Amino acid sequence: MTIENSEIPPLDVRNLTLQHHGASGTTTIVRDVSFVLGRGEVLGIIGESGAGKSTIGNAVIGLLGAGFEQSSGTVRVNGTAIETLTASKRHALRGRTIASIFQDHTSSLDPLMTVGAQLSETISTIFPDLPGTGVRQRALELLQRVGIPDPNGRYHSYPHQLSGGQRQRVVIAIALAGSPSIIVADEPTSALDATVQKQILRVLRGLVEETGLSLLLITHDMSVIAEIADSVLVMKDGEVIEHNATAALLDNPQNAYTRSLLSAVPRLRLSHEAPAIGQGGPDEEAAQCDEASEADGPVLVVENLSKTFGNHGLQALFGIGSATFALRNVSLQLRRGGVLGIVGESGSGKSTIGRILAGLETGSADKVVMNGRVCDVGSRGRSGGLLGRIQMVFQDPASSLNPRLTVAETLMECVRFTARTEHDRHPSRVTETVERLGLSKVLLTRYPHQLSGGQKQRVCIARALLAGPEIMIADEPTSALDVSVQAEILALLKQAVSERNLSMIFISHDLAVVQDICDAVCVMKDGRIEDYGASDFIFGRSDNPYTRHLINARPKIFTL
Amino acid sequence: MTHQPSTTLKRRPSRRVCTPPNLILALFVAAAVAAPVLAPQNPYDPLQIFGWEASSPPGTIGSGGYHYLLGTDGLGRDIASCILYGLRISLMVSIVSALAAAAIGLTVGVTAAYFGKWVDAIIMRVVDLQLSLPTMLVALIAIVTLGPGVDRIILALIIVQWATYARVVRSVALSEAGKPYIDAARTMPLSNARIVLRHLLPNSIAPAITLLPIEIGHAVALEATLSFLGLGVPMDQPSLGSTVANGFQYLLTGQYWISLFPGFALFGLIAAINFAGEDIRRIWDPRNRSI
Repeated sequence: MTIENSEIPPLDVRNLTLQHHGASGTTTIVRDVSFVLGRGEVLGIIGESGAGKSTIGNAVIGLLGAGFEQSSGTVRVNGTAIETLTASKRHALRGRTIASIFQDHTSSLDPLMTVGAQLSETISTIFPDLPGTGVRQRALELLQRVGIPDPNGRYHSYPHQLSGGQRQRVVIAIALAGSPSIIVADEPTSALDATVQKQILRVLRGLVEETGLSLLLITHDMSVIAEIADSVLVMKDGEVIEHNATAALLDNPQNAYTRSLLSAVPRLRLSHEAPAIGQGGPDEEAAQCDEASEADGPVLVVENLSKTFGNHGLQALFGIGSATFALRNVSLQLRRGGVLGIVGESGSGKSTIGRILAGLETGSADKVVMNGRVCDVGSRGRSGGLLGRIQMVFQDPASSLNPRLTVAETLMECVRFTARTEHDRHPSRVTETVERLGLSKVLLTRYPHQLSGGQKQRVCIARALLAGPEIMIADEPTSALDVSVQAEILALLKQAVSERNLSMIFISHDLAVVQDICDAVCVMKDGRIEDYGASDFIFGRSDNPYTRHLINARPKIFTL
Repeated sequence: MTHQPSTTLKRRPSRRVCTPPNLILALFVAAAVAAPVLAPQNPYDPLQIFGWEASSPPGTIGSGGYHYLLGTDGLGRDIASCILYGLRISLMVSIVSALAAAAIGLTVGVTAAYFGKWVDAIIMRVVDLQLSLPTMLVALIAIVTLGPGVDRIILALIIVQWATYARVVRSVALSEAGKPYIDAARTMPLSNARIVLRHLLPNSIAPAITLLPIEIGHAVALEATLSFLGLGVPMDQPSLGSTVANGFQYLLTGQYWISLFPGFALFGLIAAINFAGEDIRRIWDPRNRSI
């Protein structure tokens, strides 16, 4: 094995150049990329959207889309150049020699087939001679191998009956069905919570170490790379910027772009670690403390906010059936000029709090007081509710803007309909705000699809600010963005809060981001508040087991 | 990474307006508008019709100096002229009714999706009821109650068609209504009317536009059927459909041209509308507008 290893690597890519022929001419997507993936190795390819990393993955699997052309270079799989193979021979490679795992575990599985049936289908396609019992046996082994609890029971489950993490495990099991020597994993954990991400990465690492599998891992997330990759390829605009062993690259990045990628990753500071100097941390906090002493009490007080699902009408009247609590007795306070972070995993109810407070959903509460005025969260009516006094910035900037309106139309509408005075109505407010947020005036005439993700999110922030809210709620505002853009957006939000004396509720699953921007933190689990306190307390001294668990689940990179 | 190069670089559909189907449709519309100028004969003016030249085959030179290019019908009317005049009525009736039905269906469907709950329940049950009655029956009842006339036909066609639009639009509007840009509009807060009309409706219009040409085609056919039953447009304003119906009985005796040529015209018209519909949808979508 070792001799073979030294002679023929499972994957050898030399001077690969990929071009796309489109209506607007030919574009080079990937330029002169070379790398070798050895047996039992994990090679990470990292880069931001449009860097060409997924296209390399597709070229390796042999699934380049229409219009793409491999204009030069070779891709050798176990010594065979795949571009010389016929279509049917390439097809035979897939599943047996090369398998792939994609990001979206929901659409990777057939919703109408049980997990076991899908897995067995793949196994019997690859091993047509295996008898039925053998197929089932192998399917169960694979489920066991990827860490599905109770494989016998889960064999008959449909994909929707599994959690996201379990679905991704099944996708991995299907990829393993043909005992491939290479797996191409394109953003395998991007759709998952941090704790689940860690588990999945552990499964992949385990497979690599036990079976000598080679893994080509494509991701935008440095923490994923830090977790499992042996070596890293940093890509930008289709070119390899840096190629090094992971530890060396993280310790001592040679290229400026790599350094900027690394520094853009928000890191968690634990209390025993010295806070980073020059990051604006201590100064900011001091400034916020000063404001706090001037402030006259909290801007928002919520007492015992609850929301239930599925117990309506007669059932409720007779007390039959049990309601599901989306939120149970949540009480919190938002300091004037403060930023309250709400963290938790998906399904913990953190977004529901935001939606109720923004008036988009109803709930029940003992008391909700905003700026001394009692508000009714039980009705969707506009008079007594919170609607209009709280603005939201949403996770996905692409769907947060009306695709049929230009940026100017969207923002002007907001100005016209939320203005309280004649001065507020003036169009110059739009240009001022837009420029304040670092957007060029040229973009005002563009439609949302002509903007980048970061630009769209800036427009969303501009819209929220133009409505003149007292409180802003940001629901995972940076999760859909590249890391470098993420840092810019966070800086903008901080700036907006301090300049306009806003208060903000910041909802996120990312502890490092929350620590970066929030002065108080509320940890949610299953619709309840698990832990609540000042940011320093939560990240430093809290002994709540769940908080500790979340902090420990953070990827390795943060501990480097 | 949500945008893969393969999707961002996908060839944008062209925004050419002068595609063959569009040109053919434009030709039809122009012919309909200019019928009085183009047609050699006014087929509905008894003074211009010579009864003894009835059922002349295509190419006959008539006594009035007319060249019956496509022959004459059982009453001696020039088929080519009948087609041109028939186009006018058919196009007018079907376009007006389809547009009005689309407007009503869109508004109703979007309203149902936005408000949800009991508003949605009531509206959609009405739609279900409407769609479970046979189209012809609804049209017949409408005509019988409203009486004959071009405007009544239009009204009847609207009653028959709006529910289809409402149902198709609602399903798209439901998914649009769940998107954050609608939430953002609600938190602003904009009025419900403005959210529905300015934000939800334009983004839910695509299926209605795809449906529109098909429904215009249906309207042409339905109007022809009603005319065939004697319940359609009055005899002094005959449509393309009723011209086809006029020649139906002559098909058996070999005088194919009376039905066939208007039938071709009808087919060409509906086909052009269907093909052009795809172009219209494409041009409407701002995602296809270049920077």
